[in-house]
Amino acid sequence: MNSSSTLTEILIDGVSRGAVYALVALGYTMVYGVLGMINFAHGEVFMIGMFACIYAIGVFSTTWGDHIFLNLGLGIIVAMIFSAAYGYANERIAYRRLRKAHVLAPLTSAIGISTFLQYFIFLTVSKDTVNFPRYYSDFLTNHRIHFGGVEVTYLQIAILSLALIIMGGLFYLINCTRLGIALRATAQDQLMASLVGIPVDKIIAFTFILGSALAAIAGVMVSMYTNVLVFDAGYRVGLKAFTAAILGGIGNVPGAVLGALILGLTEALTTLQFGSEWNDVTTFGLLMLVLLLRPRGLLGERVADKV
Amino acid sequence: MNSRWRPYLLGIPGLVIITFPFLWLQLDPDFDKHTVGISWAPSHGLQFFGDLSPVFLVASLIWIGVQANRHFGWDKSLAQNQTWQQTGRAWTHYWAWGIMPLVLSGSLFLSASILSLLTNVGIYMLLALGLNITVGMTGLLVLGYAGFFGFGAYFFALSQQNLPYFPWWLAGPLAFVLGGGVGYLLGLPCLRLRGDYLAIVTLGFAEAFREMMRNLDLTGSDRGIILNDHSMFRSFAGLGSGQMGYLFTALLLFLAVFLLQRLYHSPVGRAWIAIRENEVAAASVGVPVVQMKLLAFSLSAAIAAVAGVIYGAKDGFVSPAMCEFQQSIMILAMVILGGLGNSYGALLGAALLYLVPEYLKLVPSMIQGHPFLGNVIPPFLRDALQHLSDYRLLLFGGVMVLMMLYRPQGLLGSSRRKTEMQHT
Repeated sequence: MNSSSTLTEILIDGVSRGAVYALVALGYTMVYGVLGMINFAHGEVFMIGMFACIYAIGVFSTTWGDHIFLNLGLGIIVAMIFSAAYGYANERIAYRRLRKAHVLAPLTSAIGISTFLQYFIFLTVSKDTVNFPRYYSDFLTNHRIHFGGVEVTYLQIAILSLALIIMGGLFYLINCTRLGIALRATAQDQLMASLVGIPVDKIIAFTFILGSALAAIAGVMVSMYTNVLVFDAGYRVGLKAFTAAILGGIGNVPGAVLGALILGLTEALTTLQFGSEWNDVTTFGLLMLVLLLRPRGLLGERVADKV
Repeated sequence: MNSRWRPYLLGIPGLVIITFPFLWLQLDPDFDKHTVGISWAPSHGLQFFGDLSPVFLVASLIWIGVQANRHFGWDKSLAQNQTWQQTGRAWTHYWAWGIMPLVLSGSLFLSASILSLLTNVGIYMLLALGLNITVGMTGLLVLGYAGFFGFGAYFFALSQQNLPYFPWWLAGPLAFVLGGGVGYLLGLPCLRLRGDYLAIVTLGFAEAFREMMRNLDLTGSDRGIILNDHSMFRSFAGLGSGQMGYLFTALLLFLAVFLLQRLYHSPVGRAWIAIRENEVAAASVGVPVVQMKLLAFSLSAAIAAVAGVIYGAKDGFVSPAMCEFQQSIMILAMVILGGLGNSYGALLGAALLYLVPEYLKLVPSMIQGHPFLGNVIPPFLRDALQHLSDYRLLLFGGVMVLMMLYRPQGLLGSSRRKTEMQHT
């Protein structure tokens, strides 16, 4: 294999990582756009999605046997429902009552929720890593398409196409539907939005639910990609996705996607050059650099502070 | 009545459903076919709730106390006693001086293991005091505080190991300056923005620092650095090394409390409080917001670095585990529990959160040996107490959420802080 095709493969790996980060980063950026607060428990919602999917697959395969596509498809749906429920619970418990409080209060309670969920899974499911059932992921990870000397696995294609479809749907939802208009209105001014009859509480809850469902899809994809599930996976991926959201300009939906792609590519190139253990160092180095040069992120516009 | 209970009527069954699989089911991986099955495992959930039973017990006692207080109004009758309040306030300035000889003389009669434990408490108190400057006084969230702690410790260890003529007494002041410098450089890009960015940038710094220490050969990778006796606290004037470490930490702690207390009552402290209460309003009355934030952040980073040096000199061992996220969360939980913006609250929080898990480990053996308690306390409660230290971080998370919802000002917080936290 020549070196240029290896480079292309690494770039494809970077783009698919970036697509996964983008799915998680969208959740951060939407909540920030609407509430102006960081949802620190979002990474844990992602982790819940991973575990909910594997539990669902377990239930289905003991009930009616191992049908790859049926179980996997239903597993993703169950994971989305569970993650959405956890996201909603997070909003109800940690955010709704503290929405008018000092910025520190909801942040702290969200960190509390995130620590609680991590150690809840740590204590009830497993203190160690759990392997994703290979029977379900082998089909996607072992089959490859040869494409001009470059090998692409089915899973990478699935991740990329799914991410594209979801992002397209999300852009349509935000820009072209009544719900999207209500969402943007809530983001601009909650009081005015409620005066013109937008149910602000429901819109905010919907933002959390939507972001969490997207995170669940990313969770299932990551657990198939890396084959391991662990209670602090959400913290690691959440941190990266949040970095991506800041990189692109937090609160800005296209920015989150751009930031995630840049981050994924940076990681892939770092792995090639220095080894994967340096990923965190280069990622945060990049973040500091971007914050130094463009404090609002790559696509973020300057907004005046709300008084 | 109906509207009051409705959220609970819907919420509790909802929580039961969404936690159901994790509590009551068990995954059975099938290693031959590489697939996964599921089985019914009620013992799992029963153990979880059984282990938490002492916590439920304590929580229900607290709840009964709060309800009774609401009914009888104890706190109001205490507050009406104005003389108590006034003398209490004047007295706080002097009680530190009264307690000082007591604490320092502790080094003479306490056993070595207790001294070591208390020195660790002192280090955490120093960290909590430092974090209190940013989180409590200035209202900036810092999530990677342990990164600065690790920075100080690694700076000390590396300078001791690689610079043969480096005098040990220079390490502390130099760590203070360097830690402050790192804090300044880190704060410079993100403190020009609103507070949230600082949280994530410091978190990123701590993670990147930990990974770097873990990967470099110079810093001993995963194993960390073990220092020789030469670099640790030494015996001096008839006092053992443990006693010296204790005395040093205690003196530093008194100094830090005193200086910070003076600082909080100076124009700088007033500016920090103004920024915490309303940044825009503070800027409009001429508070140099960015400089003040930078000062607060670098000062707290510098204090963490000094705490790291003490830790290195006390244990003679530094490792990447010192800068883990859990460590940062624990220090944050100390500050929040004690009372954001209150130095004494930070001290209390640090003491509680460090000592309670330590003593929880000792409780089971105490009960086992006791002739009376051993028979009275039921066996399931004994097991639960044994496992409770595993549940430490779960409980920290829960306490953080509940504190923010019901007592945002912390254990020792003022009513002013409460209104600040609840309405802005």
